[in-house]
Amino acid sequence: MGIESLLLTTLRMSIPLVIAAMGGIFATRSGMMAMGLESMMLFGAFGAVWCSYLTGNVFLGFLTGVLFGMVFGLTYAVLTIRFQVNQVIGGIALNLFTVACTTVLMQFVWGNAGNSPAVNSLEGSVNIGILAEIPVIGPVLSGMSINFYIAILLIAATTFVMFHTCFGLRLRMIGENPTAASTLGIKVRGYKYLAMLICGALAGFAGAYLSIDQLNMFSKDMIAGKGYIVVVMLALGKYNPVGAALAALLFGFSDALQINLQQMFSVPAQLVQMLPYIVTILVITFAVRHVKGPAGTGKLPEE
Amino acid sequence: MNRLKQLKPNDILSSTAVKSVISLLIALLIGGVILGVSGYNPLSCYGAIVKGSLLSPSALINTLVQMTPLMFTGLAFAFSSKSGLINLGMEGQMFLGGLAAAVVGGLDLGLPMIIHLPLTILSGMLAGGLYGLLAGLLKAKFGASEFIVTLMLNYVATFLCSYLANGPLREEGSLMAQTKTVLPSAQLPELVGGKNLTIALILGILLCVGIHLFLNKMALGYEIRAVGRNQIASETAGININKVTLTTMFVSGAVAGLAGVSMSLSGNNRFVDGATAGYGFNGVAIASLASHNPLAVILSSFVFGALRTGSLALSMTQRIQPEFADMIQALVILFVAMPALLTGLKIRKRRAK
Amino acid sequence: MNSVEMKHIIKRYPLVTAVDDVDFCVESGEIHCLLGENGAGKTTLMKILYGMTMPDGGSILVNGQETDFRNPNDAIHSGLSMVHQHFQLVPVLSVAENVVVGQEGQAFFHFNKKKAVQEVQQLIERYGFHIDATKKVGELSVGEQQRVEIIKALYRKAKILILDEPTAVLTPQEVEELFVVMREMRSMGITIIIITHKLKEAVEISDHVSVMRDGKMIQSGIPTAQCTVESLANMMVGRQMSLSSTRRTKNKGDVVAELKNLTVVKKGKKVVDNVSFSIHAGEIFGIAGVEGNGQTELIEALTGLIRPESMSLKVDGKQLHGGANGFLRGGVGHVPENRNTRGLISQMTVAENMILGYHRTERFSKKGILNLGEIHAFAKQGIADYAIKVPNENELVSSLSGGNQQKVVISRVFSENPRFIVVAQPTRGVDVGAMEYIHDVLLNLRDAGAAILLISADLDEVIRLSDTLSVIYEGKLVSTTPADTLTELQIGQLMLTGSNEEVEER
Repeated sequence: MGIESLLLTTLRMSIPLVIAAMGGIFATRSGMMAMGLESMMLFGAFGAVWCSYLTGNVFLGFLTGVLFGMVFGLTYAVLTIRFQVNQVIGGIALNLFTVACTTVLMQFVWGNAGNSPAVNSLEGSVNIGILAEIPVIGPVLSGMSINFYIAILLIAATTFVMFHTCFGLRLRMIGENPTAASTLGIKVRGYKYLAMLICGALAGFAGAYLSIDQLNMFSKDMIAGKGYIVVVMLALGKYNPVGAALAALLFGFSDALQINLQQMFSVPAQLVQMLPYIVTILVITFAVRHVKGPAGTGKLPEE
Repeated sequence: MNRLKQLKPNDILSSTAVKSVISLLIALLIGGVILGVSGYNPLSCYGAIVKGSLLSPSALINTLVQMTPLMFTGLAFAFSSKSGLINLGMEGQMFLGGLAAAVVGGLDLGLPMIIHLPLTILSGMLAGGLYGLLAGLLKAKFGASEFIVTLMLNYVATFLCSYLANGPLREEGSLMAQTKTVLPSAQLPELVGGKNLTIALILGILLCVGIHLFLNKMALGYEIRAVGRNQIASETAGININKVTLTTMFVSGAVAGLAGVSMSLSGNNRFVDGATAGYGFNGVAIASLASHNPLAVILSSFVFGALRTGSLALSMTQRIQPEFADMIQALVILFVAMPALLTGLKIRKRRAK
Repeated sequence: MNSVEMKHIIKRYPLVTAVDDVDFCVESGEIHCLLGENGAGKTTLMKILYGMTMPDGGSILVNGQETDFRNPNDAIHSGLSMVHQHFQLVPVLSVAENVVVGQEGQAFFHFNKKKAVQEVQQLIERYGFHIDATKKVGELSVGEQQRVEIIKALYRKAKILILDEPTAVLTPQEVEELFVVMREMRSMGITIIIITHKLKEAVEISDHVSVMRDGKMIQSGIPTAQCTVESLANMMVGRQMSLSSTRRTKNKGDVVAELKNLTVVKKGKKVVDNVSFSIHAGEIFGIAGVEGNGQTELIEALTGLIRPESMSLKVDGKQLHGGANGFLRGGVGHVPENRNTRGLISQMTVAENMILGYHRTERFSKKGILNLGEIHAFAKQGIADYAIKVPNENELVSSLSGGNQQKVVISRVFSENPRFIVVAQPTRGVDVGAMEYIHDVLLNLRDAGAAILLISADLDEVIRLSDTLSVIYEGKLVSTTPADTLTELQIGQLMLTGSNEEVEER
């Protein structure tokens, strides 16, 4: 037990948050609040385990997780854009639906509404020779799964797409002022749908990481508010990929800290488990007061 | 053509009650499809739900038992919505209210029931209310989004209560995470012997009526509604927005706390860790179905109480989890929240032409 | 050849026909002015041309081709471009990004920022603008932002440019600069349609003028050479402005409201700059001015909604303190600028709106309990007194017409007999009948001894009602004179420049 273990846990706990946050950036930047993130993650986690259970193939499991996430990303988009459901209410209702739905499905599939059986999951870690030799960081990195590197790639990719492609520019314009984008002939709704599909895919991936990389099973309501925490992280990171990733590290750290505290001292588990949530409340109260989301959040082009 | 215009079909369809009923029906329809796809006969499942919740005296009583806490959480959410606030912390407020009532109810102070019971109820309300007020304070003073704060506070309260029920407040010798039973002087009198149905039901109905009167007959209630509908105009009219925010969150939390109280002071007559889980969020659906009208909350909590009871009964014989009821409720929230639920379908038809 | 031919265009909304069987032609390569009062239907007509609004009838030809624009994109492809009155710009993006977006390349390819900046900078320099293409739009002045909008159109190689009230937000110098640019664009073969309600500008810049009133085209395509400001005014308003029907105060009393040294600072700028005035009982003190010259902040300070840098407001000799509530109790009535956001709660009933702000007075509530009987009686009385057209007091305010909504506000405020009333834009968006009625009510209240501050963007209204007329320019009251001392032209000059030099005749 020591700094290395704390670092390792921090990174591990941060990975899903980082991946989901990148999805959240696509959503938020296009003017869609990432309120449905929790449901996309949960359904992604469920899909991954289900597929791994049926096929025994972890790769297919991840793919299914991504697909399930996309389904809910699209659902959220249809509800809020086509049917004009308030984004907050829509997100909350979807999250409630997903928790209930996965529980019912678990009973159908596995005859147990609390946990799935253990399934094949991603095992082993990727070693990159040179990196492993760096002191302190080396041993930590050699313990990381491939998804660690994928998460880092995703940060770079999101930054590139958002700030260096025409797609990103249009998306940012839509998020700031959908009417302006529309008067320039940009198909605002289409771009928003696309953004939500990307968001759903990444959130589903993050969920799959939680269920078949970090664990090897699905359990009831296993996202436990991480989707909402990501929403707060996005604001803390000023809706920039690198900023949001750093914010994710803060929460990963608070999660790692509580795990280590549990192991090192005999602090009651429940008391330290509150830590990430309290950190979230502190952040939303004191750190993101003046951070504003895109000006056109929740708006559609005026007629 | 002229005649159609006079009948104003749009107005009739968009009236809130019709919309609520249609939303419920669509949600049940989708639930039926999910059941059908999963290999169950939707009709017989729904039949079992109705039978298990309404068609026998004991089933009906069970429905009323389930309805009681739901009415409180539904009322809590409806009330906060009136001022434009989204209190999603009913779950946590309910946990704390339930625990506080169990603790105070368990204190042997030698008090007669007429003092001990109200004291116990008030302590639960106070615990829930103060927890709601915390979110209100962060909103009023720092502008922190109340719905994220309340969501996070749910987890904090859940862990806190779980710790207390597993640790310091755990009943000696008990294998379960639960407090000791409350004294008889703090137990809610039962309406029907041995059936867990207590006067909390009556209390809840009275509270719904009371809140309705408060909102419509009191100056403060008027201010709350005004702020909920147009904060800028209310501010212009000299209404103190922060006062409204704090009041609303405190009252909403206290009412949610009562949901926990009603469960701690009946049945097992103690706080059992996790026993109240889910009732808080159900409140969102109940308030939605009731269009945030306190009187309609009575009816809609009955509907969802029946659904919950029926689903529990169904789960005894089939592999269908009682969470099926939560699914339906989430769908109801979605459909009620569609401004163009009815007209939207029409527009699509016109475009298809 | 005609660039634009619109025939028999009709656009109906639930309560009003916004465009009523209008024909409109624009010659190729000219500057055509579409003139009319606010709400005459000019903007709606142009939004129809630009594909933003679907007409209910009529046909549109662009460059001789029949068109059926479904959205602005179609219009852009046909060489049209529109600069909206409210700029469609994103402050956090750079000038270059705002200009090129949508035309910058394939969606999923690399966005070449360098190339975009280069192209836009070239375009900027060709037209002699002085803007840095890499600057964020939010850092530019209003005039510069308008030029960015024009660059957007030029970048899309627009052949027909629609400018919606382009001068409303500009200073006179900027207007002159804009006109230079417009003439330059005309010489390059671009057809320009300019929407305005300012007569002088129409005469100055256009080749032809078309005049709309109440959704109808009064006269289309008049050569500007044949027009005078007076002839256009008659067409635009449709009647002689009957200033004679008004009445000035007869019994001016003591000072009721005394304001000293009001300064409001917003974003480091003095938006209201050391304003002082005193208003007597039985006096209407009118403030004219181009919108955005500090009127909103002045109103907010006088009603306790914002805390100014400095202010001393006495009503009947008593210093006012506190927020909106304190000012209300101190006898300040407030008819807000925007009745939909500040004045009314549209999803509450007429009765509930009639007591808003006064619901804690002894008359309407005792010990926190509303006196519903009294409230309904009061609302019924208000509906009768102010001729509000509504079946009963339990209707939602949202179901009322604009004029009747405004009457609800007025009846609420006036029934309390406040000593000092801040009345802002009392007749904006109401029909002529309601306007005359509201004017009459204001005059009656004045005659009964109230001190009234009238702030309006409608110059006719201010001239008609004020006993004392002041002009606000860049946060300062630049001229305060008794009624009927200045001509309309002189007041206009003050509004535009803040000084009262001789008006150039053109």
